[in-house]
Amino acid sequence: MEILEWVKLAVGGALLLCGLIIFLIELYGIFHFRYVLNRMHAAAMGDTLGISVSLVGLMIFSGLNFTTLKMMLIVVFLWIASPVSSHLLARLEFTTNENLKNHCKIYKNLADLENEIKEERGEEAGGEEK
Amino acid sequence: MSEGISTLDKIYQGMYIAVLVILAVMLFACLIRAVRGPRIADRIVAVNMMGTMVMVMIAVLSLLLKEGFLVDICLIYALVSFLAVTVISKVYIGVYAEKRQAVKQGAEGDNGEGNKEGDDLHGNS
Repeated sequence: MEILEWVKLAVGGALLLCGLIIFLIELYGIFHFRYVLNRMHAAAMGDTLGISVSLVGLMIFSGLNFTTLKMMLIVVFLWIASPVSSHLLARLEFTTNENLKNHCKIYKNLADLENEIKEERGEEAGGEEK
Repeated sequence: MSEGISTLDKIYQGMYIAVLVILAVMLFACLIRAVRGPRIADRIVAVNMMGTMVMVMIAVLSLLLKEGFLVDICLIYALVSFLAVTVISKVYIGVYAEKRQAVKQGAEGDNGEGNKEGDDLHGNS
């Protein structure tokens, strides 16, 4: 039985370490990117993946009881809530920024973007064939 | 046998405290981003990130102190953090739209109702 405890410690510790590394990557992204809409991409990663991996590690530590269930509830809630808050923040930035065109390209309708992507893909495929 | 358990406990405690220290350092870095962020969305993103890290810290603390109710506090923290982001962004969008409307009306004076396009752009939240 004691070996099982050590295995639990190793697996849980590895998952907790993974969570910390993901938080570190998130922090690096926050300082590396130059604009909010890029930074948001890095920040949303920690909101879902980072906290879920580190809480799974903590669940393995705590065993099978109500604490585990509550931690799972936190993870599920964040999976639902984090995209919503990211969307709201992106909308805030889109609404309040006067000169958004300096940072990124804006398409008036979706068909233009789809056409452009199609053309790029066609060019890439043609280049690879030749 | 008992000595083995006690070494395991010591390892657990040391690991929890190390995780707490690392998370505290990262929290401080997040705070720097929140202070330096040039736009308001930067600050809200950084505060949201800090909330996530604090959630992990509370969960670790509940295992370190062996108090189950701290996980409840963590859950409430998640709810309140999400609510804060939602309300702040909605309120800020509303304040910005009002300010913009006031500026436009001041600039146009009594030219009539020429601001329908602006309403189409920014009115539909």
